[in-house]
Amino acid sequence: MKKCGHFKDLILADYIDGELDKNSTRGLESHLLDCSDCRAFLKEVKDNAARPWKQTPRQPVPEELWGAIKQRIEHENETAGPFADFMDKLKGFIVFPRMVPVFASLMLMFFAGSIALNTIQVQQTQAKDQGEYLVSLLGPAASSVQAEDNDLGTPIEHYFL
Amino acid sequence: MEDIAKDTLIRASQGDVQAFEEVYKASSSFVYNVALRVVNNREDALEVAQEVFMIIYHKLKTFRFESSFKTWAYRITANHAINFAKKHSRAKTVPYEDAFGEGAVANEFEAKIDQEHHSRLVESLLAELNPDQRACVVLRDIQGLSYEEIARALNININTVRSRLKRSREKLLSLKKTIQEAGRS
Ligand SMILES: [Zn+2]
Repeated sequence: MKKCGHFKDLILADYIDGELDKNSTRGLESHLLDCSDCRAFLKEVKDNAARPWKQTPRQPVPEELWGAIKQRIEHENETAGPFADFMDKLKGFIVFPRMVPVFASLMLMFFAGSIALNTIQVQQTQAKDQGEYLVSLLGPAASSVQAEDNDLGTPIEHYFL
Repeated sequence: MEDIAKDTLIRASQGDVQAFEEVYKASSSFVYNVALRVVNNREDALEVAQEVFMIIYHKLKTFRFESSFKTWAYRITANHAINFAKKHSRAKTVPYEDAFGEGAVANEFEAKIDQEHHSRLVESLLAELNPDQRACVVLRDIQGLSYEEIARALNININTVRSRLKRSREKLLSLKKTIQEAGRS
């Protein structure tokens, strides 16, 4: 019969697995009534390719399995300890998405702050220099300590004196 | 695999060992038996099952509870067992002649077979299949999963499930034919 190949394909998988839709099942079963070759094939598949598995009993799970798993979990928990817990939390904190903008703005504030501070320091340094300059302008009386150290031979002093 | 209460899964995911033991009890028969048939050896099956449960224990923390725990556990088990079988392919321990050959009557399966002989038969038949085919046969014929469940567990499409099952069965049919012919001559 011409369609036997097609039917044997269905027998090998979908049909014996109960996955064949109703229409195809009806078509196949009416073919089986007429075709002894396909009937023999179905029996062969059922007996030799499907049945050995169907009779396979479930093996009991060996008792040592849970013991081994429990031991590994306990060992992991012991070696992990509070430090690993802390690291986990820390990691969670750092990669926590909502913390990223907060962290970024903190960094920005830090940089902005340090730039501002630098500017102030520069200005203060300049102010200090200017102050010394003024002190030096006021001469030895205003800068008593400095005056002892400085000899009178500097160009500025020469200029004013 | 037995159903596991969501509450138990949540507690297990938080590291509660007692809750994890309940998860183990509900799923160990499936995990061990699939491993046993795919790697086809008791010691290796114990190793695979142990790894599978350690993976489940660790990954439960990131498990999304909207998806099915069963499907997820099927997938971990099948993948792990297949990979193990591919890496550690052993020499066949049971010669397939034992299954059909000398001493085995023509309609062996009709006869009452003692359990030991039957498990040797199963081992020797499985040894004829590659790990991918074995996994399909085990999930379908021994564990009774549907094509769709197998497809999801193995992350393959249903047509691949179908063709792997077909090829496995063809292999077994031709194996039997070969041995019977050799027996006759
Ligand atoms: Zn036919």
